[in-house]
Amino acid sequence: MRLHKLNPSIKALTVILLVFLLSFVFDPVTPLLYWLFIVVVTFSLGKVETRKWLLIFVPFLVVALGYVWTTAVFSNPPAGTELVTYWTIGPVEITNYGLSTGLALGLRVLCFAGLSLLFILTTDPVKFILSLVQQCKLPPKLAYGLLAGYRFLPLLTEEVKIIRHAHKVRGANRETGLKGKLFALKRYAIPLLASAIRKAERAAIAMESKGFTGGRSRTYYHQIHIQKQDWLFFGLMIGLFFLCVFVSMQLGTFRGYGDI
Amino acid sequence: MFKWNLREIVVMSALAVVFAIVYLLFVQVGNVFAGLMGPIGYEPIFGIWFIVSIITAYIIRKPGAAFLSETIAAFIEVLIGNVNGPRLILSGMIQGLGAEAAFAATGWKRYSVWVLMAAGMGSSVFSFVWGYFVSGYAALSPQYVLAMFVIRLVSGAVLAGLLGKYVGDSLGRTGVLNGMALGKEMKRKKAA
Repeated sequence: MRLHKLNPSIKALTVILLVFLLSFVFDPVTPLLYWLFIVVVTFSLGKVETRKWLLIFVPFLVVALGYVWTTAVFSNPPAGTELVTYWTIGPVEITNYGLSTGLALGLRVLCFAGLSLLFILTTDPVKFILSLVQQCKLPPKLAYGLLAGYRFLPLLTEEVKIIRHAHKVRGANRETGLKGKLFALKRYAIPLLASAIRKAERAAIAMESKGFTGGRSRTYYHQIHIQKQDWLFFGLMIGLFFLCVFVSMQLGTFRGYGDI
Repeated sequence: MFKWNLREIVVMSALAVVFAIVYLLFVQVGNVFAGLMGPIGYEPIFGIWFIVSIITAYIIRKPGAAFLSETIAAFIEVLIGNVNGPRLILSGMIQGLGAEAAFAATGWKRYSVWVLMAAGMGSSVFSFVWGYFVSGYAALSPQYVLAMFVIRLVSGAVLAGLLGKYVGDSLGRTGVLNGMALGKEMKRKKAA
């Protein structure tokens, strides 16, 4: 089973379902264990560059830290919780409850980031859209319109360059200060959007003149299927999640949505 | 959906592509704020993430414009590589539904400044309920959560509603929208 070869729709479904499941967990042990599993699955089943992975993942440590300390400070323990205060800073008390809930939410962010990386680093965007048409009944009119729009992406950087040159030629590139910067932003944004709209209209006319109707009765050059290994992956990821919940329960650390 | 012509669909995707990049840039900004201030750091700029649904609905004026454009923008963000991954598509759908609800309430007939601001606030409400669940706000104190909600509501009205209308009108004046509902309305107004 290779992550790159899995059906993109099933992969996406798995990730979204896991986000749902993780959202019911409020103890730090379950997400920590699951995060480890995510990392193991990503690197053992997918061909992922470690450097690239780290580059995207590391910023999330900062976000996670933000969650940890805010929750630790602004936590709202239910009545009757046994609280142990670790530190008192002025009016703020850091309790065992606040800290563990904070860690849980922070680790949840890391799990989300790990799952997302597992998806985006192993999925070809075009195949994902084609799979949505063939497996999830996305209307072809919308899907191919979307693909046409997606193709403008590299053209946009080119367009920004052209606009910058045009501004330079007219000597209109010298705004300073916040107000000037905001004005400059508008001078880029509106021409950029206008040219994107013009390009889109031209592409649509070209598609229609070549006989694209957007109907469902069409053939596909790339046929995308759902295979046994796709459901195997689905089962594996969900199974691992419940294994983490089970271990956390055995350790007596598990807390779910009802316990907070 | 099937009353849409291909031109409108491709224009919508092109707008979604441009704003997907804007959204991605703001994710970086938001992450810095969130690291410093916790989840509340996202709130003041949250409205910017609803803007494409306001602009598209304002320009194309068809049922589904707000919902589809926001969903596509989220989808394209995932394709470019937003680290929030597939769950972002779900967030996009929910935000789009919030704006769509406001337009639906007028029967997709009125696109005044108030309706656009209400649509921005609609996205705020829907996205907040979703965030409450996914980000575990239930564990935070009610006052803190309320503060977050109010800031997001204002941000949705201003950064999505007002700014969205401004961008739409500016685009209309360039003449590229002559084939779209907004351009046609502007022409009628000029003639009158």
